[in-house]
Amino acid sequence: MFSDMPKTIVVLIFLCLSLFSILKRIFKIKFTYDSYLNYLWTFSLMFVVSETISFKISIWILALLCFVALREYFTLVDIRLQDRWGILGAYLSIPFMIIFIQLDAYGMFIISIPIYAFLVIPFLITLGGKEIEGTLFSIGVIDFGIFLLVYCIGHIGYLSLFSTWMAVMLILNVAVCDFISILMRKRIKPPRHWILPQYFMSAPVIVIITLVLSEWTRIPQLHCIFLGIMIPALVAIGRHTIRYIEKDFGIRRDELVPGKGQVLDSLRSFLYTAPVVFHYIRYFSNKAGGF
Amino acid sequence: MKGLSKIFSLRLLINLFLLRPFLKLVFGINVAGRKNLGALDRYIIIANHNSHLDIMLLFSILPAKHILTTHPVAAEEYFSKWKVLFKIVDYLFRPIWIVREEKAEDPLKGMKEKLSSGHNIIIFPEGTRGIPGQIGKFKTGVGRLAEEYRDVPIIPVFLSGPEKAFPKKSAFPLPIWNNITVGPPQIFMGASLDITASLEKMIRELSESETANRHRRHKRAKHSFVLAVLGIDGSGKSTLSRRLSIRLSDSFKVCLVSDNLEFYEDEKQKEVQPLLTEKLREAVGRYAKTAKSLKNYKIPKMTELLLRDHIMGEVQRWYSPDIIVQDGCPLLNLTAWAKLHKEKYFNADLCSSAIKILTGRGGGVRKADHIFEKFPELAVLKRFKLTHMKLPDAVIMLDIDPSISIKRIQSRGERKQVHETEEKLVKLREGYLIVCNSVKKEFNIPTRILDGQSEIDKVTASALEFFEEECKREPANG
Repeated sequence: MFSDMPKTIVVLIFLCLSLFSILKRIFKIKFTYDSYLNYLWTFSLMFVVSETISFKISIWILALLCFVALREYFTLVDIRLQDRWGILGAYLSIPFMIIFIQLDAYGMFIISIPIYAFLVIPFLITLGGKEIEGTLFSIGVIDFGIFLLVYCIGHIGYLSLFSTWMAVMLILNVAVCDFISILMRKRIKPPRHWILPQYFMSAPVIVIITLVLSEWTRIPQLHCIFLGIMIPALVAIGRHTIRYIEKDFGIRRDELVPGKGQVLDSLRSFLYTAPVVFHYIRYFSNKAGGF
Repeated sequence: MKGLSKIFSLRLLINLFLLRPFLKLVFGINVAGRKNLGALDRYIIIANHNSHLDIMLLFSILPAKHILTTHPVAAEEYFSKWKVLFKIVDYLFRPIWIVREEKAEDPLKGMKEKLSSGHNIIIFPEGTRGIPGQIGKFKTGVGRLAEEYRDVPIIPVFLSGPEKAFPKKSAFPLPIWNNITVGPPQIFMGASLDITASLEKMIRELSESETANRHRRHKRAKHSFVLAVLGIDGSGKSTLSRRLSIRLSDSFKVCLVSDNLEFYEDEKQKEVQPLLTEKLREAVGRYAKTAKSLKNYKIPKMTELLLRDHIMGEVQRWYSPDIIVQDGCPLLNLTAWAKLHKEKYFNADLCSSAIKILTGRGGGVRKADHIFEKFPELAVLKRFKLTHMKLPDAVIMLDIDPSISIKRIQSRGERKQVHETEEKLVKLREGYLIVCNSVKKEFNIPTRILDGQSEIDKVTASALEFFEEECKREPANG
């Protein structure tokens, strides 16, 4: 059934993760970085579905992920009663984006949220009621939420439309970066400027992984090296930025619960990486007439 | 056979396999303290009520064996507006319908029947869905019920999230996480009213523990009404401002900026966190009072006044009182004191442009203006960017004959300050009067000149009258 190697590997990873989470349920093992595994499992499920069943179904798993992330975000921010229409609009932007990805309508995908949702949501907010105070804050909060948690994650979906293997490369690299930073945090007491040592630890590993995967992703080796240098930096920048937002929300690392920062915390490494890597690959593959 | 039909009851299945997954998938539920519910067989659940989701959320945390034997209390006339909805709710939750009418016999009858037959009930003691995010006053029924069934434990539950997910008056629910905090079961011994009160307190405590670390939008600090009391030394302005603050504090939060910083609420003085700047100002003020000549007095006094003005901002920021009563406004004092130092130049025109410069509105005053030659202090203040002093919202001037004020000062028995001689006080009084006039004319700030010689009670009464007039006019201006 699985004639080629990579498909088997993805299915194996998926099965391992499933088995691990079932065992965890049964024996009630408490694991600090539980949520990372959950999202890895979700992504691997998406890839398995897209490889074995159909891409069109797998993309809706990503929609569910966007929904969960956005739901947590709106739980954390302080919304007024009249922002409800705007938030409904934000939730509705997810299926539209997913449909554009399915249709391979790149132009619509790329402008639907930054232009149409961006303009429509403030209008919906003003329709909701007559209270004026705090309008600017609400518009900012809601628009930022969909940009970060729908649009940026949506790029993973479009990348997997290009080629599932590029998306696998992205997810695997980010997961490895996360893993290295967790390991370093456990082993070493984090110094003050510890983004740099973290970067220099993970960059060689990422370069190697990208080069190894290049057989299936079909990215030329030069670009593989560039991506390997770029991804850890983007992950570090993303983690650093989202950390500030989390702190403003009052999320504390010792009490991460779904609905109280767990989803945001687990996805934060993807948020900066996905769009930039996607556009990098798209630009150079267009220039070279396809990788 | 009966047991089997109980297990395969459609109601139970819908609750377990349709409603619960739906709530979890769309809204998301976090439960804290579920073990408080597990070990009990009979209980009364009380919860705050904000939304129609509340009943569904509470049902979703019940142990499966209790789903069929638990009944929420709901108002009949609300749900009976829609026949289909009424039937669905009636089927799924089997509520105890309450008729909110005067005529109804014993409103607790239905609940008592259920409790006597060993069933559990869910009560929302607020009676109705209140203002989102606020806990209303509890009705006394729950206390009476607890008094009668002392052996049934009461479980307080606090729900947060439904007030955002599906508040009153909203057309549709939004997917937003709900947090359910289950408190420890309680058994009460006291009278019914005490029980109600302590239950309300318990829910409030749960609410504080739950929402403590949630992100909140910063409220814009409200603007405090600043009332300045002017007057020469010995005119009784300190006494007046203190009395005024105490009298005003029956309905407002009042802060008195005098030689000390005092905070009044409900006609009593309140302890507040001390400000560091205030301590500094006190020290400078003490030093200024020991000065021997007017020249030595000038710089410490100016520093003190600038610090006092700075404190106004800090008071607004940290204590946010409704009214700030100032014993002498730093800006106006500074201006009036010019009369003492540079008598020959001082007039009404100059006074208003000096105030303009000091409040940072001196855009129209050019750099080469002769005012800076006459008062080099203004140039210095402008150079160091200290020209952002605040004008008060209302001014009360206590006018008094300097000869009387000198007598009052002598009767205090304290050491005299440099300027406290009759000749200088006459000048100072003139200065204050000029300042008051120009403030009234140029800046449209309500000003009242009161007679300081009359009795203090009379003066306080007329000052209060003045304040009330101005307070009424304030919204019209804004």
